[in-house]
Order: sequence, then C-alpha cells, then structure tokens
Amino acid sequence: MTRKILIVEDDAATAGYLAKGLIEAGYSTETARDGRDGLFLASEGIFDLIIADRMLPGIDGLAMIGAVRAAGIRTPALILSALATVDDRVDGLKAGADDYLCKPFSFAELSARIEALLRREDRVAAEKQVTRLTVGDLEVDLLARTVTRGGRAIPLGAREFNLLEYLARHAGQVVTRTMMLEKIWNYHFDPGSNVVDVHIGRLRRKLEEGFSGPILHTVRGAGYRLSPEA
Amino acid sequence: MIRLSVTARIALLSIALALVTNFALVLFVRQQLHQNAIASLRRDATEQADALVEVYRTGSLEGLKRAIDDASSPQDPTLVLGVFDDRGQRIFGAAPLSLTPWPQTEVTFRIGRIGAGAPWSKVQAGYALRPIGPYWLLDGRLLTDWEAEQRGIERALLLALILSLGLGSAAGLVVTRYVVRRLERLAATVAGVAAGDLSRRAPSTAGGDAFDRLATQLNAMLDKLERLMAELRIVTDSLAHDLRSPLARLRSRTESALLVADPAQRDAALSGLLVETDLVMRMLSMLIEISRSEAVSRDRFTTIDPSALIDEVGELYEPVAEEAGTVLRVEIEGHPAPLALHRELMTQAITNLLDNALRHAAGSGEVVLRLGEGQGELRFQVEDRGPGIAAADREQALRRFGRLDSARSAPGAGLGLSLIQAVAQLHGGRFELDDNAPGLIARIVVPR
Repeated sequence: MTRKILIVEDDAATAGYLAKGLIEAGYSTETARDGRDGLFLASEGIFDLIIADRMLPGIDGLAMIGAVRAAGIRTPALILSALATVDDRVDGLKAGADDYLCKPFSFAELSARIEALLRREDRVAAEKQVTRLTVGDLEVDLLARTVTRGGRAIPLGAREFNLLEYLARHAGQVVTRTMMLEKIWNYHFDPGSNVVDVHIGRLRRKLEEGFSGPILHTVRGAGYRLSPEA
Repeated sequence: MIRLSVTARIALLSIALALVTNFALVLFVRQQLHQNAIASLRRDATEQADALVEVYRTGSLEGLKRAIDDASSPQDPTLVLGVFDDRGQRIFGAAPLSLTPWPQTEVTFRIGRIGAGAPWSKVQAGYALRPIGPYWLLDGRLLTDWEAEQRGIERALLLALILSLGLGSAAGLVVTRYVVRRLERLAATVAGVAAGDLSRRAPSTAGGDAFDRLATQLNAMLDKLERLMAELRIVTDSLAHDLRSPLARLRSRTESALLVADPAQRDAALSGLLVETDLVMRMLSMLIEISRSEAVSRDRFTTIDPSALIDEVGELYEPVAEEAGTVLRVEIEGHPAPLALHRELMTQAITNLLDNALRHAAGSGEVVLRLGEGQGELRFQVEDRGPGIAAADREQALRRFGRLDSARSAPGAGLGLSLIQAVAQLHGGRFELDDNAPGLIARIVVPR
C-alpha cells in the first residue's frame, strides 16, 4: 500500500524537491501552497503524514497543525523550518508537531524521520505492550533490561541500553545522529564532537565482538541501522 | 525652533509668576493702607463731632461758631466742618453751601460726596452728621490725601508690571539657558554616538537631579549598545574567519570531485562535500543561537538539578574523552540545590568547553568537569592539563573569544566561545579563564 504524504510548502522549488524525492522513495504526495489549503486537505484525514513548512502564507504551519489536532485528526506531522534555534524546535514540538527538522536539511535525515514517524503509527495501531524486541539473533528484554545475542548475555550500561532499545524499535530503518540525540539525550542542538558516533562505536563493539557477523551498520551520509542483514 | 519656543514659554511663565506676585503684594499694601486711613478718619471725625456737640450744649451757637472758626484754618484745606439748617443750607463753617444729598438724619460716619462746586464735588469725603438743636453739625475730612495715595499705588502697580516683565524675562532667560545648556550636553553625546563614536558618554555629576538620572540612564543604554556592537563585530569577524576554511575546503573538494572519473571515488568525494556543508550549517545554527540568546526570555528557563545536568554531559562525553586518549572525571562539590537554567543552551555551552579541552589538551592528562558552589554562585568548570593560556593573554582571549593563535582557531572554536559567553550572560553570569597550574580552567559562573 502506498503511503500518502501531504506537503504544505509555499516555496515551489522546495515543494518540488520534496515531492520528487518522496515519490522516488515510494510515497505518493499531494502539495498545498498555503496553510488554509493545507488545513482543508489535512482535514480529510486521508494522509499518513503531513510535512509542513512553519512560515506559510495565511495560516502558519504551527497554527495549521494545532487546528488539525483540534479537529481530532492524529495524522503525524513533521515541521520543516528555517527557524533553527533550540527554542524554535521546542516550540514546534509543543504546538503538536511530532517532529521538527531545520532547513536546510539532508534528504537522508528527512526520509529517516518520515520512516520513523510512519512506523511509530503502525506500532501504535498494531501492537500491544511490547516487552521483547528481536533483531536476528539479538534479543532485547525491555522488562528485565537485559540483552542477549545468540543466547549469550551482553552487559550494557543504562544509556547504552536506551540507545539499543531505540535502534531495535526502529530495526531495519535508518536512524540519524540527530534523531538519537533528540530521543535518547533530549538535546536539540548538535554537539561539536562526533559524540553519537563514539557511543555507537562502543555499543557496536559490545554487540559484535566475538559474534558471527555485523548487526549495527553505518549508513553513509545518514546514520545507523540495526539489522541482521547488511 | 522647538528650543526657541520652550525658551519663550519658560520666560512667559516667569513673567506671569512675577507679575502675579507683585500685583498681589501691591494690592495687599493698598488695602491695608486704605483700611488704616479710613479707621483713623472715622475716629477723628466722630471724636471731634462729639466734642463740638458738647460745646454747643454748654455754650450756644455762638460758642460753637467760635470753636469752629478756631479749628479751621487755611493751612488745612481738607477739613470739613460746618453747621447747616434743617434744609441742608450752610449757616457757617468750612463746608459746601448746601449739603447734597441732604440725609435729614444723623450719620455716624459715611464716605461720599458732600456737595456741588469745588472742591467738594471733586473729592470724596469721610464725614459725620449730628443734630444740634434745630441745626446740623457736619464734621469730616476730604479724602484728598487718599486720592493721592491711590494714584501713588497705581504708579506702583505700573512699576510692578514693568519690574515683573524685566525680572520675568531675566529669570526665564537664566532658567532656559541652564536647561538648554544641560540638554545640549546630552544632545551632543547622542549626536556624537549617532555619528559613530560609541565611546561618547554624557557628563553626569553625583547630584542626582533629573538631568543626572537621565544622563546615567543614557550612559547605561550606551554601555549596552557599545557592548552589543562589539559583540556583533567580533561574532561577524569570527564568522567570516571561521567560514573561510570550510568553504575553501568545500570548494577544493568540489573541484577535485569534478575531476574524478571513477563513480565509486566520486561518490566518496561527494559525501565529503556533505560533511563540509554540515560543518558550515552547524556554524550558522550556532550563530543564530548566539544572536537569539540576547533576547531569550526567562520563561524558557526550567528548574533543573545542576548535578543531573553535569552528570548527563559527563556521561555523554566520557566515551568521547576515552576515544581522544584521556579520562573525563566528573566532580560535583556538595549538593547544589535546583535552579532555573536554560537546559539546552547551558548544556551546549558546557559541551563547547569540553570540546575545546579535548581538542587542545587531550594528550596531556585528565580533563575534569566540575560543578562548584559558593558565594551565591554556581560554577560549571572544565579543567585541563594542556598548555593553558598565559595570565597576560587571558583578558584578550576572553575579549577576542579565544582567537589567540592559529591553533585556537580550529573550525568553530571562535563561535563556540562566543556562544559560551552569550549563554553566561543570558543567565546573568560570566565566563572566565583561570590557571590550573598547569593547564586551563574555563568557567561559567551563574548567580544563584
């Protein structure tokens, strides 16, 4: 089933770039030029995701999402904005957006976030309370907070466990560095050093050293993916 | 134009004030004089009338005539003293030929005209009229002196008017010149600043009057303006400086990517371009963060346990330090109580300090992330064992945001330090550098 994405963006070039990229990635898209049209289309409730610019003619992006939410429509929404400070992002998330991405953005980052949002919706719809995540021969017990691979226990620190849990919940998907910083450390800025890479490197050593094959893969130019197959 | 009209207004006000004061004074004096004069005239007239009535009673009309002749003399032209028949016609004495209007009744004392013909019709008189037998005795004085006084007072009033105009204009001029001179000093300062000399300050004495308060406030505003301008200049400078190197790398990498024929190698070269682009973007977002932090409101602050914040950063950077070949030790002194902080900006500032320490001093011993408290202040500090900054250079390092040499100008370092400075100021605190003997202590101090 093709996922439908609503793009609300007044800049034609950006809207075209988004639509082209998303269609290539296998989604179908519809584009609204301003907040009023966006609100009108979103109110139909037929979309799987809304991508909205923040500064729009008519109704601005945040107000539009607020109105969509007020109408009882839970379609996940991602704000794309040139307003890039920490406070801007926090405001966007408070206003009802599910994710916030700053312009200019890399398409890899956007598509990783789109996938995470869509997958989250599926999980919410399909699953009951999950207590155990399995990725290949890796098992993550969320209640006991233990990890085994091929039956062998792997001792992890609290933060390492959170990191692995997040990767396992998005198994097979690309997870970017900024997504991890936001979700695991709750930081909305980009620290100078490659802090996430270092944490991932450490986790990877624990997960892979002495085991049969790689499971935590680097996706160049985007982030990481936890998956039994390369 | 406006200044002139203010001058005129102040002068007019002074004139009006002087005029009102002088007029009130003159009128008061006139009133007092008048009342005194009338009172003494009344006393004299009634006493003399009583005495003459007594003369008539003991003597006769003849005795009275003698007494009246004795009393009146040519040297006393204002005296009114005469006897009238019951139709108001003069029988003898210094009085008008006929008393008009004729009251036909006793008059204790009255002021008014007493008859026709000079000098009686010209001047008012104060008089008493007493019945004596079939006759009437008129006794009083013409108010010639009083009329003269009245004219004197009128002259005084005219003088007062002229004086008021003079004094008022003079006072107005003095006050205006004083006010204008003080305002002009302030205006000159503002004009100097507007012309670009931001170091100009308004002269202010310790007097504490309204002008001094204005000068003090103007100076405080100019201080802030000057600081902001200096910061802006430094940020712009370091931005231009910091952007040059990644842009130069971006350019050369693009050029070489264009020349690569092998698709795999070209992909690698292109992803290298992405890394450089991200670096530029990161610097831009930090710049926005810095410029915004001047205007962040306190409602962005949340009450946070500072130890937890330090622990989180320590946990985030501990593997980074290990990777860099050193040890990051977290030291929390005492149990600092929670306080209002901008969690993300403060964390970002501390990570910048850690990045700096790891970049410059990773090879020379451990790095300590310390949370200290004391003297109503909270200190977030990063200590390293690197080369440090000489005491003489610290001031400059702070002022120029760490641009000491090419080693300190690794990409983003200048901006990173400006961000730390901005975050410290946002929290009402300061950023300082200290000697770790050996090494550097970089410290964000926040008041509790």
